[in-house]
Amino acid sequence: MARLSAPALSTSETHVFEDDIDQAKTKPIGPFSEEQLWVTYEIDRTLVEIKRAQYKRIALQFPDNMLCHAPRVCNALSHGSREQSLSPKDAQDPADVRPVEGQMYGMSITYERSKPKFYILGDTSYGSCCVDEIAAEHVDADVIVHYGRACLSPTTRLPVIHIFTVQPLPDSETIRQEAERTFADRSDKIILMADLPYQCYLHNIFNMLQSHGFLNLYETEVKHDPSSLLPNRTVPDEVSRQPCRLKDWHLLHVADPPDALLLTLSSRVASIHICNTSMSVTGLENLASLSTSRALNRRYALLTLVKTASTFGILINTLSVQNYLDIVGHVKEQILAAGKKSYQFVVGKVNAAKLANFSEIDAWVVIGCWESSLIDSKDIWKPIITPFELGLSLQEDQDRTWTGEWSSDYQRILTMEDTAAPRGKEEAYAGLAENKADSSSVEGDDSEPESSPPEFDLRSGRYVSGSRPMHFQPHRSQKSMADNALVRRSQSEITIMGGQLSPGADFLRNKRGWKGLGSDFDMSSEEPSTSIAEGRSGLARAYVNDRAH
Amino acid sequence: MVNFTVEEIRALMDKPANIRNMSVIAHVDHGKSTLTDSLVQRAGIISAAKAGEQRFTDTRKDEQDRCITIKSTAISLYSHMADEEDLKDIPQKVEGNDFLINLIDSPGHVDFSSEVTAALRVTDGALVVVDCVEGVCVQTETVLRQALGERIKPVCIVNKVDRALLELQVSKEDLFQSFSRTIESVNVVISTYYDKALGDCQVQPYNGTVAFGSGLHGWGFTVRQFAVKYAKKFGVDKAKMMERLWGDNYFNPKTKKWTKNGTHEGQPLERAFNQFILDPIFKIFNTVMNFKKDELPKLLEKLEIKLTGDEKDLEGKPLLKVVMRKFLPAADALLEMMVIHLPSPITAQKYRAETLYEGPSDDEACIGIRDCDPKGPLMLYVSKMVPTSDKGRFYAFGRVFSGTVRSGLKVRIQGPNYQPGRKEDLFVKSIQRTILMMGRNIEPIEDVPAGNILGLVGVDQFLLKSGTLTTLETAHNLKVMKFSVSPVVQASVEVKNANDLPKLVEGLKRLSKSDPCVLAYINEAGEHIVAGAGELHLEICLKDLEEDHAGVPLRISDPVVSYRESVGAESSITALSKSPNKHNRLYVTAQPMDEDVSKDIESGKIGPRDDFKSRARILADDHGWDVTDARKIWCFGPETIGPNLLIDQTKAVQYLNEIKDSVVSGFQWATKEGPVAEEPMRSVRFNIQDVTLHADAIHRGGGQIIPTTRRVLYAATLLASPTLLEPIFLVEIQVPEQAMGGIYGVLTRRRGHVFSEEQRPGTPLFNVKAYLPVNESFGFTADLRSHTGGQAFPQNVFDHYQMLPGGSPLDPTTMTGKIVQTMRKRKGIKELVPGVENYYDKL
Repeated sequence: MARLSAPALSTSETHVFEDDIDQAKTKPIGPFSEEQLWVTYEIDRTLVEIKRAQYKRIALQFPDNMLCHAPRVCNALSHGSREQSLSPKDAQDPADVRPVEGQMYGMSITYERSKPKFYILGDTSYGSCCVDEIAAEHVDADVIVHYGRACLSPTTRLPVIHIFTVQPLPDSETIRQEAERTFADRSDKIILMADLPYQCYLHNIFNMLQSHGFLNLYETEVKHDPSSLLPNRTVPDEVSRQPCRLKDWHLLHVADPPDALLLTLSSRVASIHICNTSMSVTGLENLASLSTSRALNRRYALLTLVKTASTFGILINTLSVQNYLDIVGHVKEQILAAGKKSYQFVVGKVNAAKLANFSEIDAWVVIGCWESSLIDSKDIWKPIITPFELGLSLQEDQDRTWTGEWSSDYQRILTMEDTAAPRGKEEAYAGLAENKADSSSVEGDDSEPESSPPEFDLRSGRYVSGSRPMHFQPHRSQKSMADNALVRRSQSEITIMGGQLSPGADFLRNKRGWKGLGSDFDMSSEEPSTSIAEGRSGLARAYVNDRAH
Repeated sequence: MVNFTVEEIRALMDKPANIRNMSVIAHVDHGKSTLTDSLVQRAGIISAAKAGEQRFTDTRKDEQDRCITIKSTAISLYSHMADEEDLKDIPQKVEGNDFLINLIDSPGHVDFSSEVTAALRVTDGALVVVDCVEGVCVQTETVLRQALGERIKPVCIVNKVDRALLELQVSKEDLFQSFSRTIESVNVVISTYYDKALGDCQVQPYNGTVAFGSGLHGWGFTVRQFAVKYAKKFGVDKAKMMERLWGDNYFNPKTKKWTKNGTHEGQPLERAFNQFILDPIFKIFNTVMNFKKDELPKLLEKLEIKLTGDEKDLEGKPLLKVVMRKFLPAADALLEMMVIHLPSPITAQKYRAETLYEGPSDDEACIGIRDCDPKGPLMLYVSKMVPTSDKGRFYAFGRVFSGTVRSGLKVRIQGPNYQPGRKEDLFVKSIQRTILMMGRNIEPIEDVPAGNILGLVGVDQFLLKSGTLTTLETAHNLKVMKFSVSPVVQASVEVKNANDLPKLVEGLKRLSKSDPCVLAYINEAGEHIVAGAGELHLEICLKDLEEDHAGVPLRISDPVVSYRESVGAESSITALSKSPNKHNRLYVTAQPMDEDVSKDIESGKIGPRDDFKSRARILADDHGWDVTDARKIWCFGPETIGPNLLIDQTKAVQYLNEIKDSVVSGFQWATKEGPVAEEPMRSVRFNIQDVTLHADAIHRGGGQIIPTTRRVLYAATLLASPTLLEPIFLVEIQVPEQAMGGIYGVLTRRRGHVFSEEQRPGTPLFNVKAYLPVNESFGFTADLRSHTGGQAFPQNVFDHYQMLPGGSPLDPTTMTGKIVQTMRKRKGIKELVPGVENYYDKL
C-alpha cells in the first residue's frame, strides 16, 4: 500500500484493530507456547489437507484478535510443509510431526518454486467470520485457511480449510452439575451444541451426561449449511423428518452463542440454556424467555420503523457468500415493487461514521453472511435490517404477522421466493402497473393528479407522506422530450435525474439547509462581514501553507 | 315527526346571516346532553315524552350505559322565529325569520376535553351549562377558557333549577342569590380571558344572555321572555323592563313605583326578579307538589296553560313536568337566546379570521374567511373524524370557512405539517360526497357554502385527525388545534394470538383516527402503545380497540406514564467529543430550561417556524434570555418542534454553516432518545461552545458530525446532573367540609400536595386544588371516593412535568435509579446507564 492516507471511506488506520460492532465478543489472546500454537491452530491437520490437494498458493486468514500469531503460524506451516515434502513418510502420521527447534529454514520457503507459498491476509473487509475470497484472489491463492470462529457460509470461488482454533474449556464438571440442576427430568429431550471453538469437547460432554442418566441427548455435528434448522449443525432424525418437532427439544449451548443464532433459535426450540465458558460464575441461564424475546421485539420495532422509509441503502457486506448477487437483485426488486428507492453501497466494514455520511438513506438492508447481518448498534443513526426483515416490513399491515420467527440467512429467502415466485412477482408487478396506469390516466387532464394516500407511521402514530416516491414513474413522453423541451414541473413532483426519479437528489434539493458557498450570507446578514484572508491551497495531504509552519 | 326537510336546511345554508353554529359546553354531569334533548325535541326528531331522558346525542351504547358523553355529536336544527319584534333585537344583520342552528353536544369529563376543542373550532358560539347547585366547576372554567381562546362567544344557562326547588327547598331570595353568585363566577372567568377583538362577553340576565331552567323537565326561561310579557302588561319599554327584572330592583306595590331601595318604610320589598319571575314558578311547584288539586285549574288559567285530557290525570312530578314545559318550554328560551345573542358566521368570522388562519391576513384565503364568502376560495377545516357504519372508514367532520364545497370537487388536502410551497402533507383528491350530520343519522347534500358545518366522504385516508381543505394553491393551513390535555397515561397491548397482529395494527390505526387526542404507536421495544389523557379516556380507548376497531382478544398491561429526560443543573464541565476520525471536535454544555419556555414551546407560542427576530423578542422579554442567544437558536427537538433547544454560542468558527444540517440531525436523534433511559428529552438547552473542524469537506461530512453530535449531547447531559421528569396532574376536587380530612390522607399517600383550598361562597363545599403525580393517580378516584364516603369528585388534568424525586437516575440504588433500570430492562437494553466516559473524549 503506497498511499500515504487512506481513501475517504475506508477505515482509518488507527481503527484497524477496533472492531466497533462486536468489540465485546473478541477476547484478547495471551502468549502461546509453541505447543499450544500447534494444537490451537491445528497445524498438522492443515498440512495434511494442503498436502492432499497439492495446494501451491495458500492464503491464511486471521481474525483481527489472532493476527498477532499470524507470523508464527505461517512460520510453522511453511516449516512443517517443507518438512513434509522432505520426508513424505512423516506426513502419513501427522501426529508425529514436531517442530524442529530453531528457525533455520525461516523465510527460505518462498524462494523454492515448487514449494507451497503462504500469504497472510490482513484486515478483512467484512466480518472476520466470513472467508475473504477477494483478498485471497489478489494473491491468486488456491485455497484459504480460515482461522477462528466462522459462519460457514458457502463460498463461490475457492476451497476453504476452516480451523476453529480450539479454546480451552475450563471445567466440564460444572456443566454436568448445572445440567442436572436445570433438567430435573432426565428424559427431557436435549440438543447439545457448542460454539465452534468448543465443538471438539462436545463428544466428551455428551458421554458424560449420558453416563449420568440423561436419556434423550442429541449431539450435533458441524455441517456447512447456515440454512439448516440449527444453523451449521445436524439435527436429530426425528426433526429432519418433521421440522416442527424441534419445538420439543431443549438446547444446551456451550459458550456464548452469537446474537444472530440466539434470535434464530429462540422461536425454534423449547428453550435455550447457555453454559458460559466462565461457568463457575454465571451457571446455566435460560435466555430464551426474556432477553432474547426483548431483542426480538426490538427487531420488530425496527422493522415497523423501516416501513415508512422511502429510500433504502443496500449495504453489501460480503463479496464471497454464495448467491449474494441474487439476493441483491431480489431485494432491489422488492424495494422497487413497494414503490421505494434503493441505492447500493459497498463500504467495507460497517461503522457508524460511514453510514451517517449518507443522510438521504432512511434505512439500510445489509446483505451479508447470516452471523454478521445482525448489526444492532446504538451508535448507528439509521436502522439496519436483514433481507428477511425487509420482506416483513414491506408487507402490507394487514398481512404482517410477528411470531418471533426470525432468520438472518438469506438463502432461505431465495428458496422461499423460488417456490412462491410466479405468483408473488406477478402480483407485485401488477400492483406497480396498476399504479402507473392510475397516474397516467389522471395525467391526461391539466390539473395535478390525485395523490395516493399517506401511510400510517406505526412508530410515531402519525401519517407520513412520500414513503413511496417511486410510485409515480415519470411519463414516457416526458422522458423523451426532457432533453430539449420545456416541461412544466408540477410542484409535488420529485426531482428527476437523467430521466429517473431520484429521491436522493430530492433530499439534497429540499432537506439540506446549506446550499454551498454564498448561502451563508443570508443567515448571518446582521453580522458584519469579515475581511478576506488568504486560505489554504494545494493538495489535501500537504497544503502549501502547512509546509510553511 | 321531523318538522323540517333537508331542502329547507339547504336553502338556509345560503343565508349565513341566519346560521348559528354553537357548541354546548359544561362540567361533567351538569346536563348538556339532557338540555340538548329539549332542542332536538323541538325539531321533532324525538318525542316530547322522551326528551330529557333519551339523550339523543349520546349515540354510543357505552355513553348511554355510563350516562356520560364521550364523543361530541353534531345536529342541525331548524328554527322559526315567529315574532317580528324579536328579530329587531338581533344585533346583527338577518334575512327572514328562519334560522339554521348547528349544534354540537360535547363531553364534560376532562379526559375528553379534546373533543370539546374540536367542537369549538367549528362553532362561533357556546352555550355554557352550569348546575345551579354545584355552580361553576373545574371543567366549566376550562372549557370557557378554551372557548374564549378560540373567540367563541358564550351564553349561559343555569340548569337543574328543579333540584334547587324540589330537593333543597330554597327560598326565592336564596335562589336569586345563588343565581347571581353563579353568574358572577362565570363572569369572573370570562373577564379573566378578556379578548379585545371579541369584545365584552360577560353574560347578564338583563341582557338576555343567561337562561334558567331544567333540562330534565324541559323547561327554561330568560329574563327577556318575562320582560316581553310584562312590558305589554305594564306598558313600558321592553329593554327597561329587562333591566328591572334582575338585580336590586324592586317594585313597590304601594307606590306602584320601581325603586332601587330594598325597603319601604321599614318593610322589606320583594325583589322584582322574585316577584315577577320566580313567584309564578314557585306557585306552580307548590301547587303541584303539594297536591293542591283545586287551586291548579285557576293557576293554569291565569298562566294560559291548557292541558289535554290525559295530562289532567297526572300527579306530582309528571304533572309538574307537563305544566312547566307548557308554561316555559326550554327550547323557546334557548333558541331565542342563541338566535339573538350568538353571532352568525358572517359576524364571527370577521374577528376569528386572523386567529383561524396561519397565513398573512391580506391574502385571498384570509379575505375569503373574513367575509364568509361562498364564492371565495374553499377553506375548510376538518376538526375530527366520525366513524361510519362501514368499518374502518370515517366521515371527516368540519366547517366551511370560505367558498363552497360540493361532491366531486378536487381539493388540496393539507395535513397539520403542511407548509406552503412544500409537498409534505399535501394531497390532491376529489371529494366523494358531502353530507349533513344529524346526530346518529346522516343526510346527503349536494353542496355546502361557507359558514356551515358538514361531513365529507372520501378524505379520511388523507388526514389522521384534522386538517385543512382548500382549492387555493397558495393557501396556508388553518391553525392546528391545540388541546388542553396531553396523552400522558399509556398502556401496552398485545394480541393473545399472534395471527391477530394485523388486526391489532389496523385497529390501532382506526383508534388513532377516531379520537382527537389518543396516540397509538409502537415503541422502540416493540410494544404496541395506546396513550390517553387520563385513566377513563384510556379505558374507553382500549375498550373501543378491543371490541370495535381491532375486534380481537387483547392482553392489556397496567397503565404506566411516559417519562422525560432532563437535566438538573448546568454541565459541570464543557463536554467534548471527537469525531471518529479525531479531526473534528464539538464542545457543548447543557443546562435546564425554564418550565415556562418549555410550556410556551409546547403550546406553540414559541415555535421553529416563527420569525427569528420576533421569537428572540419573546424569549428576551418574557423569559429573560440573552438576545444574542435567543437569535441563534439552531433548532427545536425532538421532531423539530420539541421543547429542547440547540443554541450556537460559538465565535467565528469556519465552515460552521456547512455542518449545521448534520448537527441538527444529531440533535434530533439525541433528544428523541436520551442517554438515561432512551426516553425523549425535555427542557434541556444545549449550548454549542466551540467547534473545531477539519479543513477538508470530506472529513467533516455527516458521517463524522452526526454521531459525534449525539455523543457530545449525551456527554453534556450526563455532566449536567441528569434527571427524570414525571407528568403531574392538576387535581381539582369539590368536597364538603366534613370530608376534607379524607382527601389529605389519600393525597399524601400518593405523593400529592394541596396548594389551594377555597370555600365556595354560600355553600358548605370546598374547592381543593392539588398536584398529583400521574404515576400515582391510577385508582385515585375510587380511593378518594371510598375515603370521603363518595362525596369527593376529582378532575385530573395534565398540568406539567416535574423532576422525579429520590436521587440520581444514574445510581441504581436510588428510587429513580430503580425506575430507570426497570425501563431499560423493559426496552431490552443494558440495564446500567452507560457512563459519561462513553461519550466524553479527552482532549
